[in-house]
Amino acid sequence: MKTPGPWNKVAVVGAGMIRFGELFDQSYEQMAAGAWRACRDSVDLGLDPSQVEAMFVATQRGTLWGQEGIGGNTVPSAIGLSGVPCTRIENACPTGSDAFRVGAMAVASGVHDVVLVIGVEKMRDKSAEEGLLARAAGGHPVYTRGESAPVLFAPFATRHMHEYGTTKEMLASVAVKNHHNGALDPFAHFQNEITVDQVLAAPQVCSPLGLLDCCPQTDGAAAVVLVSAERAHEFTDSPVYVAGFGVATDHPYLHEKQDYLGLLASRLASARAYEMAGIVPKQLDCAEVHDCFTITEILDIEDLGFCEKGTGGAFSAAGETAISGSMPVNTSGGLLAKGHPIGATGIAQIIELWWQLREQAGPRQVALKNGYALQHNVGGRGSGVSVVNILTRNAK
Amino acid sequence: MSTPRECHSAVLSIGVAAPTLRLPVAQVAAGWGRAGGRGQVAVCGPSEDALTLAWLAARRAITAAGMLPEEIGGVWWGCTRPPFAEGPNLSFLSAALRLHPQSEAALLSGSPHAGIDALLAAADAVKSGRVSTALVVASDSLLPALGSGLEAASGAGAVAVLLAAEGPARLSQVSTQWSPVLDRYRGDLETETREVYDGRLFREQVFLPLCQTVGSSLSADPSTRWSLPDPDGRLGRTLGERLGSVQIVSSAARSELGDTGAAAPLLGLAAALGEPGNLIALGFGGGRATALSIQVTSPVPGSSVVQQHLSGGREVTYTEALRCRGQLVASGETVEMAVPPGSAMFVRGSHEMLALLGARCLACATVNTPPNVHPTCIGCGAIEFEIIPLPLHGTVQTFVVNQTMPAPFVAPLPLLVLDLEDGSRISCQGASDGSDLHVGVAVELQLRRYALERGVPIYGYAALVATASDKTIERPSA
Repeated sequence: MKTPGPWNKVAVVGAGMIRFGELFDQSYEQMAAGAWRACRDSVDLGLDPSQVEAMFVATQRGTLWGQEGIGGNTVPSAIGLSGVPCTRIENACPTGSDAFRVGAMAVASGVHDVVLVIGVEKMRDKSAEEGLLARAAGGHPVYTRGESAPVLFAPFATRHMHEYGTTKEMLASVAVKNHHNGALDPFAHFQNEITVDQVLAAPQVCSPLGLLDCCPQTDGAAAVVLVSAERAHEFTDSPVYVAGFGVATDHPYLHEKQDYLGLLASRLASARAYEMAGIVPKQLDCAEVHDCFTITEILDIEDLGFCEKGTGGAFSAAGETAISGSMPVNTSGGLLAKGHPIGATGIAQIIELWWQLREQAGPRQVALKNGYALQHNVGGRGSGVSVVNILTRNAK
Repeated sequence: MSTPRECHSAVLSIGVAAPTLRLPVAQVAAGWGRAGGRGQVAVCGPSEDALTLAWLAARRAITAAGMLPEEIGGVWWGCTRPPFAEGPNLSFLSAALRLHPQSEAALLSGSPHAGIDALLAAADAVKSGRVSTALVVASDSLLPALGSGLEAASGAGAVAVLLAAEGPARLSQVSTQWSPVLDRYRGDLETETREVYDGRLFREQVFLPLCQTVGSSLSADPSTRWSLPDPDGRLGRTLGERLGSVQIVSSAARSELGDTGAAAPLLGLAAALGEPGNLIALGFGGGRATALSIQVTSPVPGSSVVQQHLSGGREVTYTEALRCRGQLVASGETVEMAVPPGSAMFVRGSHEMLALLGARCLACATVNTPPNVHPTCIGCGAIEFEIIPLPLHGTVQTFVVNQTMPAPFVAPLPLLVLDLEDGSRISCQGASDGSDLHVGVAVELQLRRYALERGVPIYGYAALVATASDKTIERPSA
């Protein structure tokens, strides 16, 4: 696994998505088709559908009718690629980013040269009560009962505030910044600015987190085309390479965390990814990290090494993570503004970085210095799984 | 005149428990467009029922006696309306109390007379020498018929005593009498308890004659203190007058909690066990009345905190009480538990949930909770464990208050991570609204109903800020 410098065996040559939102007018299959077409059309030198050798579908759960569980079967048909080998991947909130990693490994293995990774998730075809909130009744009948999604992260806010003096205003600064970025992103679910006061005054969802500390429930789809590095220039003059990746797991119950100040899985996954890419955090030009809640982004930027443990709140409030800051984070609007259709989330994050590294991000464009960008997800019961992918525009 | 018989055995200790809610009777009256209404009744919160109250009273009695749960020969539970009309009432209670796996158990039910029935059955088991220590629990939480007078009278509460051959309070005489008449009742297939057909008829021809007969047949003098049944808030005083203006000690518990049914006779005299002298407890229900005299020679352990454990509670509106009793239900579907209560997961996990068990690694001592999903130690990867009961006290490592919950959850719902006294850690729900919680605060765990899933109660432990009066007893590791 250990390689000097970026891994760079695989390149991203196409990336496209549909606008995220409450897509009541689109089916799971229609969303997938929209993402595929946008992705196909983004390939600079053209991609013929017959060139796609294999597919990986990322769908975490879906709330449609139970058929998402066989997305590996339905999505090829929906996008006109029936007959192509296709496998569904599920790995909690990092489902999309892990499908990307698996796709990259399939290409690097030499079995396939051209692979489509497509994330599709229906979050809103059922009511919130029957969708994500219903997980409060899932899992262990006692030890996880009542554990809806914010319960996986809000306890870290309580303890982070207690231990480091992190304030609700600091948490709010994350939501304000990500909504600002979302307002610049035509693919974002929410494209409006908010203020710190609005965040603080929002109804409580899971104390200490209020409504605007939480990402919305969003439908969406996103797709990328991965090819072997040697063949990248058949498709584009500006490939983005997979510099490295890392995955890590942790125990699934909330009471099994070592502490409530950071996420071990994120630390382990990012350490592996940095080592594989041969870089340190300071070499990143920007990052898309898992901000399902405001506190999550604060934990992330500490765990990923952008700032010291305990200083994430002040780092955010000082504007260091803004597009113009020293370490731009979630230029797309993040999960908080762009939305979190789980299987599509990680792939959409990669698409934002693909645009950034190709200097196609318009008003969200960051200044490129080193040509590296990081994508991160963390989730599952007890935040027990994290995936980090590092991309680069630098050829090996 | 009924002839009393002798009763042999003694009370070692006592514990009581009250639910967390109090419903002013005036609220009930207003709900039906009537003025007036005095006093209050106790109502179980969403996580409480006759079993959780029984557990709390029993633990307090066991703690007061300084005994270990495994030393107790068995449990005799009197309860008019146990959580299961048919089902594992006794094994759930025995497991949650961490009693010995071979301990005896009997459930006495069918009417509010069940509390006295449980006490007498346990006394016989002690007298026969079959058990040396018997746990008697009487608890009730009735569902009164809507619009009936029972709504203003029916409360909830629990009492538990440990019985042995010798103790600071001796049971001495028992007198009983029956009459085959209908009083308060609930038919098969009926969900709510119906009130008596005619109040005057009940009072003059059923209640007073039966109670007077058994009460007056026991030896008493003016210093004797009485615990008298009081189904409607007035009959108790009338009965006291008919018995010769006797001294009634049950009024305090009655006005705090309302009619506690099967728990009423013992709950009524619980505080009085703290003073030497003669006591008589009179139980009534199901066309039967029984009087039992008790001679207190020295204060019974546990009696000094009775008043503290019965008082307090949060006042609720009639609407909230109806919701808590399940008599006011929102339309629409509720979210089902992922695992049905009868499924294999519960066969594997029910005991460790009810008894709050953990798996301690033999190699590194890390406690893995819950045991059946931890075949490998999270601390060191070893695979050999001993199953241990977890302490019921700890401090808050971190917590949240979940305000966004789909039905059947009731928000606000605190969820906590606790550092228990033995160094282990669990996650659990909170039993309060969360406003009393902060990082580092000491909490105790109480058995609570986590869900009523497809009609089946699911129990777990919930945290609330610890009170000084409850000191825990832990069973030593097996």
